[in-house]
Amino acid sequence: MIFLAKLGMGVLGAALVGGAALSSEGFIHVKVHEKQPNGTNVNLFVPAVLATTALHFVPDRNFSHGSDHLRECLPIIDAAIPALEESPDGLLVEVIDPSEHVRVSKAGASIVVDVNDAEDVVHVSVPLGAAQSAIHRVAEARPAD
Amino acid sequence: MKTGKKHLLALVAVSMLLLAATFAVAASATRYLHVRVNNPATHELVKVNVPLALAERVIPAINHGELRDGKIHVGNFTADNVDVRQILDALKTAPEGEFVTVQNTDDDIRVAKENGQVVVQVIDKQSKETVDVTVPWDVVQALISDTSKDQLNVEAAIKALENLGSDTTLVRVNSKDENVRVWVDSRNTDSE
Repeated sequence: MIFLAKLGMGVLGAALVGGAALSSEGFIHVKVHEKQPNGTNVNLFVPAVLATTALHFVPDRNFSHGSDHLRECLPIIDAAIPALEESPDGLLVEVIDPSEHVRVSKAGASIVVDVNDAEDVVHVSVPLGAAQSAIHRVAEARPAD
Repeated sequence: MKTGKKHLLALVAVSMLLLAATFAVAASATRYLHVRVNNPATHELVKVNVPLALAERVIPAINHGELRDGKIHVGNFTADNVDVRQILDALKTAPEGEFVTVQNTDDDIRVAKENGQVVVQVIDKQSKETVDVTVPWDVVQALISDTSKDQLNVEAAIKALENLGSDTTLVRVNSKDENVRVWVDSRNTDSE
């Protein structure tokens, strides 16, 4: 009985630590709603740490197209993201035209992009720290031979 | 009576502290650079709100093309042997008033120094387009500070904009195709 209790405590502790580690960098939220009849609805919450870790297992050749350009931009990104994290929440960019409405805003420690056009409604929220890690991963990929 | 005086002094001290804290918070309020472009014909609207603190940190990190170390290289800044920096230096000491007025069949142009600001107004009589540029003097000075003759100090100008005490419209363009407004205030929305 005591052994079972100890095992239960161990599993619970591991789950708590694992959960805390998974949620430490926040969550990536992707929500897509296709407006057409029987259109797809996707609602995805992914721990950002999983996504950034997964990127390390993607072969470099898949990033080779963007890495050169991104590498040049790294100092700008490294300056912008911490500054953005310290900025108050709010709308950064909004584009409205008769067929489309796009909003880019900062909410908490995330950058949020909302697009509403004739076909879809898309909401993407990415923690700034995870975005920075992902950009670094792509930029630091070795160019294809 | 002595205790009453002590209480009064303590109250005054706390009030002063609160007042100082309020001023400190007010002074550190985030300033925003707003850009709004509106096309009434196509019903297109673009709004950009940039915290100036963000711009201040990003600009020095950009070393690309003509923008390096927070300064932008402007080709032909001396404009056919007219040294713009010397003109700005002269403007600094000049009294307020109208400096240039050009009226011809195509445009009306006016350059003036008003209320500590450099004001440029252009009216294109053909297209009915109007351009109003208002740059606070501190920002003009920051633009030419610590630069060689073909440079403008963007980083210093942003710092100067951040330190402006008041809300200021910097650029306003009205034409039949587009209306553009660029301004600085302490609101994170683009409400006027």
